Amino acid sequence: MENKIKEIINIVLEKNNKETVKELNKELSLRDDLGMDSLDLAELTVRIEDEFGVDIFEDGIVDKVGEIIEKISKR
Amino acid sequence: MELFFHYRDKDITYEELIEDINKTKEIEKYIYEQDPYEILKKLIISIINGNQITLLDSDFSVEEIKKLGVSEVELEKSYENKEKVENMDDLFGKIEKNKDIWELTLYTSGTTGRPKKVIHKLDTVARSVKKSEEFKDNVWGFAYNPTHFAGLQVFFQAFLNRNPMIYIFDENRKEIEGKLKKYNVTHISATPTFYRTIIPYIKSPIESIQRITTGGEKYDEALENTLKKSFPNAKIRNVYASTEAGSLFSAKGEIFKISDRIKDKIRIDENNELLIHKSLLGQSETFKLENDWYKTGDIVQKIDEDHFKFVSRKSEMINIGGYKVNPHEVETEIKKIENVLDALVFGRKNKITGNILAAQISLKENVNTKEMEQKIVNQLRNKLQEWKIPRIISFVDQIKLTRTGKKVRK
Repeated sequence: MENKIKEIINIVLEKNNKETVKELNKELSLRDDLGMDSLDLAELTVRIEDEFGVDIFEDGIVDKVGEIIEKISKR
Repeated sequence: MELFFHYRDKDITYEELIEDINKTKEIEKYIYEQDPYEILKKLIISIINGNQITLLDSDFSVEEIKKLGVSEVELEKSYENKEKVENMDDLFGKIEKNKDIWELTLYTSGTTGRPKKVIHKLDTVARSVKKSEEFKDNVWGFAYNPTHFAGLQVFFQAFLNRNPMIYIFDENRKEIEGKLKKYNVTHISATPTFYRTIIPYIKSPIESIQRITTGGEKYDEALENTLKKSFPNAKIRNVYASTEAGSLFSAKGEIFKISDRIKDKIRIDENNELLIHKSLLGQSETFKLENDWYKTGDIVQKIDEDHFKFVSRKSEMINIGGYKVNPHEVETEIKKIENVLDALVFGRKNKITGNILAAQISLKENVNTKEMEQKIVNQLRNKLQEWKIPRIISFVDQIKLTRTGKKVRK
């Protein structure tokens, strides 16, 4: 699952000319460390929902990679 | 002297604004500018001279401007600044004197592909502005694009009350909390998307905020609860405004009130569509009126004589974080790309920006889809504003059509 999440994050980053990640560190902030803006986050959440059927932003604000993994594991 | 505008690391006082106005010899007829302070300064100069100006988004591409029908010759035209301003009272006096001659043209996403041109007078663009002694200590967080209608509303509300504006729209998000606290900002008006973007950066509650205004997207209760934590002293209000008519209704929660002031100019028709009387609109040749009433395309639910809530949009416009995108405009651009046969653009719902754009595209045979995706995105970047570019692209053999031959837009 974590590999798939990394792949999705990298699709969003690469397509929008941002630096991709090699390792998926749970402490990484989507906004601060990966430089995602609101459109990137919106794309990410739709792609994750398509893959895992989970709306990661459903109940509020998500910012750390670890929070995404936790949301998907809980489904 | 009081602060007029803070942006990046600059503080500009009202006194410095007057000096800058007096130093300016001419302003362009079409304001196509990135610097938010310059935009506002030129806007003020145009009012005191009674000029007719147009505001263009700074991120419009050359192609997009061409589509508006604005020629390069027109873009180069300018007006002479004939006025000298002595002080703030003199400035407001000159505004009062010229407010009926001044005209401001804005472009709004049209429903037929070409953006609509709407001409406003100060009366329509600043209709919702309240000017009073009780607002004199307000400090505004400026969280909209200053060339957009909502940004102008914030500008006039703050400026006509001589309030400071702290520009936070496209500033570094990590600095926003510090700026709001340093300047004791009391009022912010922004889209839900903007609040969702800054909230993770607000580490401790900001006590100075008295009022949070939002609008332009569907009401979101979860967001309202989050806002209450970051801004514990703020009253939260939702407004309904449009480029055609300005700010019209406000709501606490999701139920909008029709005020007595405009009661006879608002109707809900038998199909539950919200209609606005033409006297509330800016001028435009492209408005379609039916017996003096403008059909908003918003489907509402009537609660009682004075209250309603929004149900849906009748039109095909897709709301991306408060920006309305016409899918036909994007499809037209995609179809111009080599090897593309057909395209269908639609919204995908999400909790960050309401919608993002998705596209289904059919290609000529034997074209590499991976390469095409990047090629399409790159080509669109040169032609369209960022939020008009589809984020999720899928390639299909054929775009599905309804029995009447229309595309099935989801």
